[in-house]
Amino acid sequence: MKISGQRPSPFRTMISRSAIGRNAQLALRRQCCAKAAPSNRRGLAAVSSGSTSFSYDSADVAGVKTASRDVAGPTTKLAVVVKAGTRYESLPGLTTGLEQFAFKNTLRRSALRITRESELLGGQLSAYHTRESLVLEAKFLREDLPYFTELLGEVLSQTKYTSYEYHEEIEAIIKLSQKKLLADVSALALNSAHGLAFHRGLGTPLSPSSSTPFKYMNEQSISEFASAAYSKANIAVVANGTSQAELSKNVGQFFTDVPATSAFTLSSDTSKYYGGEERIAHGSGNSMVIAFPGSSSFTAGGSYKPEIAVLAALLGGKSSIKWSPGFSLLSKAASKFPGASAATTHFAYSDAGLLTIQFSGPAAAIREATTEAIKSVKSISEGSISKEDFTKAVALAKYRALEEGQRTDAGLVATGAGLVHGGKPFQIDEVGKSIAAVSADKLKSAAKALLESKATVSAVGDLYVLPFAEEIGLKV
Amino acid sequence: MSAPSLASAIKSRPWLAKRLMPLANWYANAAGYRKLGLRADDLIPEESEAVLLALKRLPEKEAYDRVFRLRRAFQASLAHQLLPKEQHTKPEDDYQYLSPIIKQIEAEAKERDDWDSVVISKKA
Repeated sequence: MKISGQRPSPFRTMISRSAIGRNAQLALRRQCCAKAAPSNRRGLAAVSSGSTSFSYDSADVAGVKTASRDVAGPTTKLAVVVKAGTRYESLPGLTTGLEQFAFKNTLRRSALRITRESELLGGQLSAYHTRESLVLEAKFLREDLPYFTELLGEVLSQTKYTSYEYHEEIEAIIKLSQKKLLADVSALALNSAHGLAFHRGLGTPLSPSSSTPFKYMNEQSISEFASAAYSKANIAVVANGTSQAELSKNVGQFFTDVPATSAFTLSSDTSKYYGGEERIAHGSGNSMVIAFPGSSSFTAGGSYKPEIAVLAALLGGKSSIKWSPGFSLLSKAASKFPGASAATTHFAYSDAGLLTIQFSGPAAAIREATTEAIKSVKSISEGSISKEDFTKAVALAKYRALEEGQRTDAGLVATGAGLVHGGKPFQIDEVGKSIAAVSADKLKSAAKALLESKATVSAVGDLYVLPFAEEIGLKV
Repeated sequence: MSAPSLASAIKSRPWLAKRLMPLANWYANAAGYRKLGLRADDLIPEESEAVLLALKRLPEKEAYDRVFRLRRAFQASLAHQLLPKEQHTKPEDDYQYLSPIIKQIEAEAKERDDWDSVVISKKA
């Protein structure tokens, strides 16, 4: 700005210095500086219209559920969370297909135009899906909210779903992602565990499996699925870094073309836990997943069980600090067998959950580590863990839950999913409280219930070495 | 591919179109391709990126029929014969099945060129 102010203007060079008075010169300079720095332009430090609250405000705008969190900062993240994850797909693969069609040609502008315009504004667009939700996301500078709200509304209601885009771009990408999935033993094992645990619904593979390549999917079936998925009742618009008033105004203006109700409703039966064992031979790498019924997510309301989160932290597997295997039972167990690694994850969905322990590494090490892991679950159920370990686990579980709420991406999806599934937005303070209230007895009975229920065991890799569920003392 | 054409200008003026239609029909018949069972769009040269891509985007049925028409015409041409009258292309069948796709591809290419050479001016 300063440089442009000192640059000699043609006017000044043409007329000699003495010809204009000092005042006129000053006025000239002031004018040119004013042009370079308009009054509405703010420095980074000045942007602070947001509050520091980490909880979401939610509102219903003309039938669209919205939630926003006005975190201070110059950027905004806006997401449309659609209740159209793999759980709800009417034919295999449609969620992946619909995800790929996001930000393609619409009736108003081409995919190229969408890309170039967003690039010029410094925005980033992405689309991804989980088992329950399809998420269309835009990240941008705070003042560009109207542009990106309009864009997301347009993607929902006016995408063309052309045949040639499907054949030329989408098909190839889906084929590649299939190849990637088939080479990834841990993803295969997790998919297999979900399939065993929930059969249909939540058990549908996260990306289309090789047995159903393009039999059911084409631009027409995707377009029909879109007309069912993209309706006002089925979506939630969640924003981070903008006020609820601003969001409501823009959503009310730009989401008018989205139909209020869909042609047919996407539904899925209430999840039921089955359990079982599956063994898949694989040449590259070994992975084994042992899973138990878990708790539904916090946003689902009643069926949320905080002790499962504490149990996941106590079993653990990955150290959260440096230079030590950490306090978690599985990392201690796995450290005895070089090469083996274990990780406990709790997958929480709207009406069910899956507590998974995943092992990877050499087959022989996995074999030993799984036996050891089952022993540690037993020790929890017998109540023979130290008070100190319990306190550490509660603290870690609380930290993880709060961090998830605080981090914009995870919080955004959790809130959106909570809203579209008829629950409540992710409220960070309540989650923290419910985890802190978990007692040692509750944890003990939760672990006991796990061992008594039917387990889910899936082994991928060298099946000669990897153990059967029976061999490690699990009922399937 | 698309050569400069007055067609759209003429079509937008009904009085002019009405007068020129008999001439146009006479020309299309005299060109002879209809007697070989072809459509006007079958005569578009394939040797360009846009046309090749457009051919790939044809619906399956259209693509199959196009190949059939071309082979039948080659055969008739080799035999130095015209097709029997009932197999001639009827004027109503002689519609543009390929040109709209080519125009769309050309528009896409032009849009890409325009964006590649875009000049950005900041709002005052």
